[in-house]
Amino acid sequence: MSAAKRVQQWATFARTWHVFDCKWQDPYESANIIKKYLMGMHKPIYHPMNDCGDVVVCINSREIALRGDDWRKRAYFHHTGYPGGASWTLAWELHNKDPTMIIKKAVYRSMKGNLQRRHTMERLFIYPEEKVPEDIMQNVTNQIRQIRQVPTRLDHIPEEVVKNYPKVMEYPEDYILK
Amino acid sequence: MAALVRAGFSLAKNAIFSTSIRSISTTKHLNIKEIRTSLEGSNIIIEGVTVPSPRTELLIRPEKLNTLIENKSTESIEKPPCYMCSLGLDVKHTDVLILSQFVRSDGCMLPRRITGLCRRQQKKIGKMVTMAQKAGLMINLTPAYSKKDPKKRWNYKKFNTYFDETTIFMKRIPKPLDRFKR
Ligand SMILES: [Zn+2]
Repeated sequence: MSAAKRVQQWATFARTWHVFDCKWQDPYESANIIKKYLMGMHKPIYHPMNDCGDVVVCINSREIALRGDDWRKRAYFHHTGYPGGASWTLAWELHNKDPTMIIKKAVYRSMKGNLQRRHTMERLFIYPEEKVPEDIMQNVTNQIRQIRQVPTRLDHIPEEVVKNYPKVMEYPEDYILK
Repeated sequence: MAALVRAGFSLAKNAIFSTSIRSISTTKHLNIKEIRTSLEGSNIIIEGVTVPSPRTELLIRPEKLNTLIENKSTESIEKPPCYMCSLGLDVKHTDVLILSQFVRSDGCMLPRRITGLCRRQQKKIGKMVTMAQKAGLMINLTPAYSKKDPKKRWNYKKFNTYFDETTIFMKRIPKPLDRFKR
């Protein structure tokens, strides 16, 4: 066995730690990506009975982006079990209370509901800020690519770039600049 | 009868107050006006001065791109498409460097007689400007009273939002629950 093959085999059987930056990412789209790494579906040896899942560390979960009017339209349901115990929490209310909950629920929902799911969820770490405890960060060896590009704000672009950027629209001759 | 009377009335009105607009201009092309007020003794002088446009040199037009000219000569179109259609750019609502050109300094979308776009492009660009403003990507081009920083906005508005450009021309935006309808 060559050295490269040996490393490949070692990497297949090892439990790697991945980091995922949730900044401006849709939690429901990124849950499908995170799920694959958590369950080990990206490995050639994957089998549902095979404990080959990896660990994923999600950072910046406070900065997630929902599409359109999802923040005020999407509701999360909970029932205490008592009569009249049903409650509906809007996505922005839930995010106010716990900024890690939306991404956690999205990943939980994206997986099939079996007994393994609770154990797979134990391998998911979510942090609302960029700050991660040192003992967790020292294990991380890989970064999962973001799905959506993080947009740049116009006031963060230097003024020279904005001024010299190629222009598409030309003002008519009798236009008064406002 | 009523229509006839109305037509006659509008004709007479036009004859009295002649409001015909001449579209012939004598000023030099690609110049914009600037209104200057100056105080000279006891007189306030307000004059309209034509100044060269700041973006003439940076302007991109399909005529300048060689590849598009060849395509244009082969096919004959009665009405030429507007500059945005002929450029064929795939503009997203995050492309603030392009969208900020269609906007006044208070972030308001310019009307079609100034932008010179076709109806469809005007609608598309206008909606994308709204999307960029709602996502808080052009906060330096907003009215003075608006909450500039998206983090300081109210309730659901303080969280990051992204938009889907394919919904611009949809009559009705489908809801997630529509999948379960019969
Ligand atoms: Zn057009």
